Amino acid sequence: MIRVMGAVLVAAGAAWIGFQAAAGLRRRVRALEEMAAGLALLERDLELTGPPLPQLLARGGARSQGPARALFLGCAQGMDNLAREDFSALWRRQLGLQEELGPEGQAILSPLGDTLGRYDSARQGEALSAARRRLEELSARLGEDSRRQCRVYQALGLSGGAFLVILLL
Amino acid sequence: MMTQRTAARSCEQALWALPLRLREEGLSLSEWDKSRAEEFRLRAGRPMTAVIAGEERLLNGPPVRGEELEQLLEIASRASVHTVLDQIRRGYLTVEGGHRIGLCGTAVMREGEIYALRDLSSANLRIARQVRGAAAPVLDGLCPGGRLADTLILAPPGLGKTTLLRDLIRSVSEGEGCTPLQVALADERGEVAALYGGRPQLDVGRRTDVIEGCSKAQGLMLLLRAMGPQALAVDEITAPEDVAALRTAAGCGVTLLATAHGTARADLERRALYRPLLEEGLFRFLVRIGRQGERRIYTVEELTA
Repeated sequence: MIRVMGAVLVAAGAAWIGFQAAAGLRRRVRALEEMAAGLALLERDLELTGPPLPQLLARGGARSQGPARALFLGCAQGMDNLAREDFSALWRRQLGLQEELGPEGQAILSPLGDTLGRYDSARQGEALSAARRRLEELSARLGEDSRRQCRVYQALGLSGGAFLVILLL
Repeated sequence: MMTQRTAARSCEQALWALPLRLREEGLSLSEWDKSRAEEFRLRAGRPMTAVIAGEERLLNGPPVRGEELEQLLEIASRASVHTVLDQIRRGYLTVEGGHRIGLCGTAVMREGEIYALRDLSSANLRIARQVRGAAAPVLDGLCPGGRLADTLILAPPGLGKTTLLRDLIRSVSEGEGCTPLQVALADERGEVAALYGGRPQLDVGRRTDVIEGCSKAQGLMLLLRAMGPQALAVDEITAPEDVAALRTAAGCGVTLLATAHGTARADLERRALYRPLLEEGLFRFLVRIGRQGERRIYTVEELTA
C-alpha cells in the first residue's frame, strides 16, 4: 500500500514539475503582454498631455498590471530623490526587480532609462513605441514557443512520472 | 514683509534644485547669509558662487563639473525635459517655490530658432522672494469707491513692476483694502505666479486663475472666454496683439491691470504701441515707480482726468 502511495506521489510530483515549467512560460508571456500594454498607456498619455515623468509613470502604473505596474510606480516614487539616484540608474534598478520579464524583456526595456524624460515628447513616444513593438514580437514568439513547449513539458512530466512509477513498482 | 527666518527658508528651498554636493555647499552658509542670498551661480570649471546682498562671493567648494549642470537640469525638471523645453528655449526654468534657473550652453538651432541647449556651461539659481504688502501704498488711490479701476503700471526694468503687479493681483483677489474680484492672469513667462505642478508658487490670491506658456494675447482671449473674469491682468504689454486683446477685454466690461516699460506718461504718448492705450482711455490710472536711494516711490496719476 505504502509503495503504491509513494508511486502515486512521485508520478504527481513529476507531472507537477512539468506543469509548473509550462506555467512559467505562460507567466512570462503574460508579463510581457502586460508590459507592452503599460507602454501603450504611457505612449497615449505622453502624446495627449505630455505630463511630467513622475506623473506619467504614476498614472500609467495605477492603470497597469503586473510588472508594468510595479516598474512604473517604483520609478515614480523613486523620482523624489533624483539628487541621489538619477533616472537612468533608478529605471535600471527597478527593471532588474521585474524578473518575470526575463533577460530578453529587460534588455528591450533597459535603454528607455536613457530616453524617458530627456527628449521632447515625440522622441520619447517613438522610443516607447519601438520598445512596445519589440515586446509584442517577443511575447508572440514566446507565446508560440510556450504552446509547443507546454505540451512537451506536460507530456514529459506525465510520462516521466509514469516511468518512475513503473521503475519503483 | 519677509522675516529673516522665512527668507532663509526660501533660500533653502531653492537649493533643493541643486545636485547634492552643491546643495550642501549652499546650505552651509550662515542663516544671515541665506536670508540675504539672491542668487547662486554655477559655471563649469569654476567653484560655485553666491550673490549675497548684491556681492558675488566665492564658495570654497571644488569646481562645478559639466555633469553636475546636467544633473541640475534633471533635478529641476524632475527628469521631464519635455515639459520645460519651452522654458529652456527662453533660457530659464521655474522650479518649486517659483525660483528661477537661468541656463547657458551651446544653443541647438532649428529653422533659425533656439530649439534646445546642450553642453551646459553655466546656471544661475535665482531665489524668489515675494513682497507681500508692496501694493499697500497705492491701493487706496487705485480703488475709488472701493473697487479697483483699470490700472497701468509703468517703470523701467528692475524697479519692481512685476512685484507690484503680483501684490495688486493678490490684494484684489483677496479683497484686501478693496472689493474682492475674480482675477484672471495671462502669465506668458510664468514670472508673476510661477505655476509649478498646476499651482502658483507665488501668492496671487484665492480668486485668481492663471494661464501661462502661451502668448499674452492668446492667454487673455482664452481667459476672457473660459473663466469669465472680473479683472484681467497681464505683465508687460509688448505687442500690438496684446493691445488688441486688452481692447476686446475692455469692451466686455472687465477691469484691466497691466504693466509697461517706461518712465513717464510721455513715453506712452510717444510710442506707437502704447498710444492707443491713452487715446482709447483703456486705463484710468497710471502708477509710476521711481527710486529714492533704496526706497521705491510710487506715483498714482489719473489718465482720464
